[in-house]
Formats: sequence, C-alpha cells, structure tokens
Amino acid sequence: MGNFDLLMTGFGIAITPMHLMLMVCGVLMGLVVGVLPGLGAPNGVSLLIPLTFTLDPTSAIILLSSMYWGALFGGSTTSILFNIPGEPSSVATTFDGYPMAQSGQSTRALTLAFMSAGIGALMGVIVITLLAGWASNFALRFGAPEYFAVYFLAFAAFIGMGSASPAKTMVSLTVGLLLASVGMDTVTGEIRLTYGFSELLGGISFLVVVIGLFGIGELLATVQEGLRFRGVASRIHLRDVFRTIAELPRYWATTLRSGLIGIWMGITPGGPTAASFMSYGIARQASRKGAAFGTGRPEGIVAPETADHSAGTCAMLPMLALGVPSSATAAVMMGGLMIWGLTPGPMLFATKPDFVWGLIASMYISNIVGVILVLATVPLFAAMLRIPFAIIGPMIVAICFVGAYTVGSSTFDLWLVLLFGLVGYLFNKLDYPLAPLVLAMVLGHKAENAFHQSMLLSDGSLGIFFANPLVSSIMVVGLALLIVPKLLQLGARLRRPATVE
Amino acid sequence: MTNIKTGLLAATAVLLAAPAFAEWAPERPLEFIVASGAGGGTDNFARTIQAAITRGDVIEQPIVVLNKGGGSGAEAFLYAKQNAENPHKLIFGTNNVYLLPHVAKLAYEAKDLQPVAALALDEFLIWVKADSPYQTAMDMIEAAKAAPGTIVFGGSQSKDTDETLVALIEQTTGAEFKYVPFNGGGEVGVQLAGGHVAANVNNPNENLGQWQAGAIRPLCVFAPQRMAESAPIQGEMGWHDIPTCKEQGLDIESYQMPRTVWLPAGTPPEVLAYYEAALQKVSESQEWQDYLTKTSQSAAFLTGDALASFIAKSEGDTVKVFEAEGWSAK
Amino acid sequence: MTVRRFHAEAATAAATGILGLIAIYGAAELGFGWEDHGPQAGYFPFYVGLLLIGASLWNLIRAFVAYRAATAEEEPFLPREQLMRICKFSAALLIFVAATLMLGIYVGTAGYITWSAWRQGGYRLPVSLGIGLGFSVALYLIFETLFRIPLLKGPIEPLLGIY
Repeated sequence: MGNFDLLMTGFGIAITPMHLMLMVCGVLMGLVVGVLPGLGAPNGVSLLIPLTFTLDPTSAIILLSSMYWGALFGGSTTSILFNIPGEPSSVATTFDGYPMAQSGQSTRALTLAFMSAGIGALMGVIVITLLAGWASNFALRFGAPEYFAVYFLAFAAFIGMGSASPAKTMVSLTVGLLLASVGMDTVTGEIRLTYGFSELLGGISFLVVVIGLFGIGELLATVQEGLRFRGVASRIHLRDVFRTIAELPRYWATTLRSGLIGIWMGITPGGPTAASFMSYGIARQASRKGAAFGTGRPEGIVAPETADHSAGTCAMLPMLALGVPSSATAAVMMGGLMIWGLTPGPMLFATKPDFVWGLIASMYISNIVGVILVLATVPLFAAMLRIPFAIIGPMIVAICFVGAYTVGSSTFDLWLVLLFGLVGYLFNKLDYPLAPLVLAMVLGHKAENAFHQSMLLSDGSLGIFFANPLVSSIMVVGLALLIVPKLLQLGARLRRPATVE
Repeated sequence: MTNIKTGLLAATAVLLAAPAFAEWAPERPLEFIVASGAGGGTDNFARTIQAAITRGDVIEQPIVVLNKGGGSGAEAFLYAKQNAENPHKLIFGTNNVYLLPHVAKLAYEAKDLQPVAALALDEFLIWVKADSPYQTAMDMIEAAKAAPGTIVFGGSQSKDTDETLVALIEQTTGAEFKYVPFNGGGEVGVQLAGGHVAANVNNPNENLGQWQAGAIRPLCVFAPQRMAESAPIQGEMGWHDIPTCKEQGLDIESYQMPRTVWLPAGTPPEVLAYYEAALQKVSESQEWQDYLTKTSQSAAFLTGDALASFIAKSEGDTVKVFEAEGWSAK
Repeated sequence: MTVRRFHAEAATAAATGILGLIAIYGAAELGFGWEDHGPQAGYFPFYVGLLLIGASLWNLIRAFVAYRAATAEEEPFLPREQLMRICKFSAALLIFVAATLMLGIYVGTAGYITWSAWRQGGYRLPVSLGIGLGFSVALYLIFETLFRIPLLKGPIEPLLGIY
C-alpha cells in the first residue's frame, strides 16, 4: 500500500465527529496556552496527558497534537500585539510583527502570521506524508558533529549580517552564551556559574529571560513615551483579512524558502525556534529591502512563522520514527506515547499504521481548523489594544510575571523578569541587538554540548567537523553564510568611494 | 436524621476500609514534584501513579504535578528540603536522590528526604548495533582490553547511572572504554542505531523501538535473574531470552535503578503510613501493571526496612565506584 | 536631572564588563584548560567571558570618543520627564514583585492593577477594585481550575480555604 492510500485510510480515521471535536477543543486550549507567555505548549500538553488515559491512543494524540498547533498559533498573537512571545519559537515574529502592529496594521500582521503558519504546517505535513521513511533514515545519520554543524548553520544564517555595531552584537551574543551555560553541564556533569545559589541550579530559563527582555522591556519603552501604546489600534474589517490573504502570493519565494528551512530544521533536530531565527536571518539577507527588516516588513513575519510551523510539524517525524524529539513539546508527547504503550521507533509505522496515519491525516485537518479558529479571534485580540493603557499595561505586567512563575514555580524567576526587563529596555535604547542574545540562549549550550561530544569522539581533533561529506557540506554552507555577507558589505564599501571619484 | 445516619455509615465505611491509616489523610491538594523534565522516565512514573490514584479513588484530594528537573533533579530535592515537614508534597525520583550529593556540591543531603516506597526496578542492558562483531559482553570487553579507550559507550548524562555502570564494568574487568554523554536515553538509542557510538547501557524502554526494528540488539542484562517472559520482540527473541551478564562471565551481580517516592523529612509517622498504604494500592492496580509491562520494568514494592536496606546497599556500592573514579565531591 | 547618552553607555559597558569578570571567575574555579579529550567545563564560559570583557571595553572607548567629539548641544538621552516616568513605573514594578512574594500572586496582582487603574487611569476606586479583583479571579480560573497549575499563594488564600 502506498503512502497515499495509507493517508486516505488515515483520513477515514481522523474524520469522525468525535475526532473533529477533539481537534477543536485541542486547538482552542492550545490558543489559551499559547497566548499566555510562559505557560507554553510543553506545559499544556503535559497537563492534558492524564486526561488521555481514558482515550484510545489515536484520539489522544489527535488531542495533544491539536493543542500543540493551537499553542503555536496563539504564541504569535501576543508577539505581534504586545511584543511578548507567547512561545519561544515566536520570538522572531516580534521583530517585524510588532512594528507592523504599531503602525496600525495589527490585522494585517496577525493574518499574515496565521496564514503563513498554516501554509508552513501544511508543507511540513506533506513532507511527512511523502518522505516519512526516507527522512527518518536521513536523521539517523546525524551524530554529534552533524548536530554541531546544524547549530552552527543556524547561528551563521542569523548572525551573518546585522546592522548593529559589531562590538554591541558581540556583547549581546556573549551575554546570551553565558546565561545559557549556567546550571548543570550535560557533558562534564559539572555545575557551572551558580556561585552557590540553589536557584540557579536548574539554569536560567530562556522563557523567563525572553518575557523580561521583550515583555517588560517593551512596556518600559511605552511608559517612557507617556502612558499610551504607541500604535493606533485600527478598526477591524473582515475585508482587511481577505485583502491580506490576497497579498500572500507575492511572498511565495519567502514562503517556499522558509518552509524548506523549517522542514530541514524539523527533521535534523534543530527545532522550531532555531528554524524561525534562521529563516528570518536568511530572508533578511535575501531581500533587496533587507535593511528595512525590523520596521514591519511583511516578509519578516512570513519567514519566521512559516519556518516555525513547518519545523513544528516535521519535528513529529523524528519523534515517531526514531524516538528523538526535536522540540520540547514533542518530548512530552513521546512520554505520552510510552504511557499509552506505543513504542516510538522505526517499527511504529509498520505496527500501528492506524495510529500514525490517523495522526498525519489529523495534522492536515487540525491545522486548517486552527487557522480558521485563530483568524476568528483576530478582532477580539486587536480590540484589546483599545483598552486604556492604565488598565491593559498592568495586566500585561501581571501576565508576564505569572507566566514567568509558571515556567518553574520559582519566585526567583520574578526577580529575573524584573532585571531582564530593565536590561531589555536599556539595550534597546542603546542599540544593542537583542536577537543574538536570544539565539545564543536557545542554541548556545546545545552547540557547546555537541562540540564537546564531538571532541570526545575525535580525541580533541577538529577534523571531525570535516570528516564526512554530510557534516562538511553543512559546515561549508554555514561558513559561507557567515563570511559572504561580510565580503559583500566590504565590496560595496570599497566600490562606493570609487564611484564618487 | 437521615443525614446523621449516612454520615455515620460513611464514617464506619472509611474506618473499615482503611483502619491502618485512618489517623491522617491529606487536607489539601497534593503536589507531585518530579525530578525530571516533562516527558522523562521519572515524569511518566509520576503521572502513571497520578492516573492510578485518580481513577482508583485512592486519594480524594486533587493532585498537581510539577516538574523540577534542573540540575539532574537536584532542583526537586532542594525543593523538598525547603518544604520540610510538609505532608502534602511527594517527590518522585530514582536513585539520584541519594547519589547526587556524592558527585556534586549541593545544598541538600539525602537525609533531607524521607523514603516512602520504591515501586519498580528499571533494568540496564548492554546494547550494540545489529551488525556489531560482538556476540557477548565478554567479546566486547576482550576487544576493549586489546585496544583500550577506543570502543565508545554512549550514555545519558555525566556521572549519572549510565556512566557509573560503564565505570563499574571497567573496574570489574580492567577493560577501558570511552564514554560520551548525551542528553537522554532516546537520543543515545538513536546514536547507537546510527552507528555513531559502539554500544550503550540503556533501559529496556529506551531502546525497545530500535530493537523491534532490528537496528540494534541486546547482549546481556545486569540482573540477578533473567527478565520476565514476554511476547517475542525481534525475531524469536523476547526479554526473557536475553542472558544475564553474570551468565556471560561478566562479574556484576545486579545493577538496577529503583523508581522511588519520597516525602520531605520531618513528617509524622502516620503520614508515612498513609502514603505507604496508598502506594501499595497503586502497585496493585491494573494501571500500574500495564505501565510495568509497557515499559519493561521489573515489579518491586519496597517500603520501610526493606527499602532502607536497599538504599543503603545501592548507595554503598555506587559510592565505591565514585571513589575509584575520583568523582566524589568533597 | 537628565541622563546623558555617555553616562548610559558607560554604565552599561561597565556592567557587561563586570559580568564578564564574574563569568571568568566562575569558569576559573571549574578549570578552563583543554584536556586530552576536549575542553574542561569552564573552557567556554572563560573565553566567552574574555570576549565579553573585550567587547565591553571597546564600547566604553567608543562612548568616550563620542563624548569627547560631541558638541555642547547634545540632545538629552533621557529627559527629566521621561526619566521620572521610568522611575515611577519601575518602582511600581518593584513594589509589585515584593508584594507578590509576601502576599502571593493573586493579592499582589489585584492590588497592583487596582492601584494603577485608580491612581493612573483615573477610575473611581470601586471600579478599579472590581477590575483588579476580576483579573485575579480570572487568573485563578484559568490556572488553578482549567490547567491545575498552582500559583504562588500568600497568607490570605488559606483563610478563604484555597490552598
């Protein structure tokens, strides 16, 4: 039986009133979880797991995965409206989504985000449908050096070109790397940089830092200008939604490229967060209006959202076929799988075709359900911008702190949010770029681990990063992404005086 | 009148059903503190117990599960110390509760927690890739002696159960391996299936999928006797067909990881008695049996003195390995 | 009182530089050498810390150069009015966090939102109180009832029978 027939059987399983209802419930709960910063998809999914004991595994995974999609959608909403990333993977969406919303086009920004997210997810599912077997074999070829190369590639793609001062970029990057290395180091088993504080034992949570830097930092900037949101909340017309949808085909190149990046990062275990950063970085380099990125460019929303969702869906594949989750949420779902008595691994596709293909078919449907539901919430969220600042401001503050608290139920995190709020405000004011810090926190420690593991394997020889065609080609692409834009910049600078003379 | 009657009846029923621990029952929602991230082995352990309790109506109060997996679980144990004498918080872990303070400088000691029960023993096996030249554990050890430090063992975390076991094999046989730590059992399983490491010492559950697919195979299990009978998993072979390492001539009697439940220290004895009885019920429930079968763990229910002596032995044996490796934190 | 850009730049550069020093100190305790099988635990933090110090020094020098080159008519970085707003808001945040730690999230949040609506939004006190309490109740319903996530509680909740 070909994959297509299996998929049709899958649709037969997924389209029942019961399953459709589970999808709607899952997506709605996911939206709530995604909108609240801190309380992300991994939390939400793990809270639902006990409920799934009474369901059969197919229904259970449909519920959980729908919640995941809902959370991914919801995460972009707060990124765009309040500059608070509801999910780690929607940090990159703030870069252009928030400025666009501020310029009075919140409907456009939200619609762009949701539509490209939906398209990204569909691209991901199509790849899973067509290439399930091949992709999981491919993922098996990834050892420690290849992991490092993938992280390096993501770094290179994002850092390669930035308009900020190099020294300030370096400060931001190194601060992020240091924050990421606090806590237990996997490879050496040493506890690092905790200075005797038990609170730091678990490391500094990326989410807490992001909530502070972006959420509180942005509120401080708003307050500085007077107690109002800088953006004018425009009226919501359904027409705006449709007009934006009609605008989408213009960004087909960005969409396609970002979707492929997302698929690549979802299958190789880079994860959705890294995918969205990488995609944003590459879109900025590829665009002729690259310098305008960060001021509300539509491509700056399309790129991270498409990549985020295609990576999120593709991350299901290594989880099901190999038992390697490439996102935190996938890790929780895998735990669920084991509790239901299913063993993730290459045989799952053969032994439980109903489960696997039911899930894959449901991914098509629930993502479409997700787009529709989330578009329906656009007016609601955009209306929130019209609430006077004296009320909505403190509420956002409260949600930021509550969200940070739910990450690890630790009161210490409340102080961290406050601290990073001030840091975020100051860095913004002084033109320190925040993105390198965030990316370094996401990838820094993983990259270090992979590097260290590679060194253990090769007895300290760097040659291992060029030991086979796969790892060397990823490294070469990464190096090229890092160096070529600098050369182009240099070239442009050399040429300009020549034309003046 | 009728109300009083039903009240009396209910009271009698409670007394009859649970005479041993009627003195104390939780008055507030319970917190289950899990010493691993969501989705980890300890997390599944705690959530299965939560489900069994809720469905069997073993405890009336609602239960909240909190993951505190930072610092290999130290975060959860520190939390227990901060909540000393609190009878509404149960901590879920493995042997890491009493082993962590030996290898890392931490602000808690094992005596800050009161052991309640061990509910299962997770087994350790030596696994190799399907096309590996080694047929028994001794083949591999001989090969390692011939070329010291070249055969790579993947494992999860550093100075944790996996590395301890590899160190124990080295100390027992004089062979020398290379150990590379990864983030978790699943990742180590795939590293083995992909041929990036030569062997691993994963728990059955972590490698089951790859074994089913025929990508890897087990050499032997570190248990005093073979594992329980099961349906065939790969070809003709099921869990019971895997020889013990002792059978193959590797002189390690047993190496197992208990799944344990703890209370913060300083709670009154009737609290302990209450949870012991509740967990006893859990261990007899269908959910629990299913969990053991699905995750291929060995059943064990230890409380009181049996548990204390198990811990003492396990701690003593492991600390010897730590000392020989120079891992002990002063 | 106004803040000039030079002051802000210099203070930030100094702070990041100190952070680098702290990291180097922490890394040095762990050992930052390169063993036979790769780097020691402190290797990365040590060199990252060095880079941070270097970049911070560079920023400090640049700020100083810009300061010397600047003409007298520099636009203030943070005029008095803005500075006061930031200070007031930050102080409110600080009090909010401190109150939350003492009284729990629900009470802290209700108090903070009530105060803001009343004093800054110009709403009447009963209305403000309604908004604040309403928000806390909404938090309770979402987190504790729907998702079963306990938030930080203070001494008041147990009196109401909420644990």
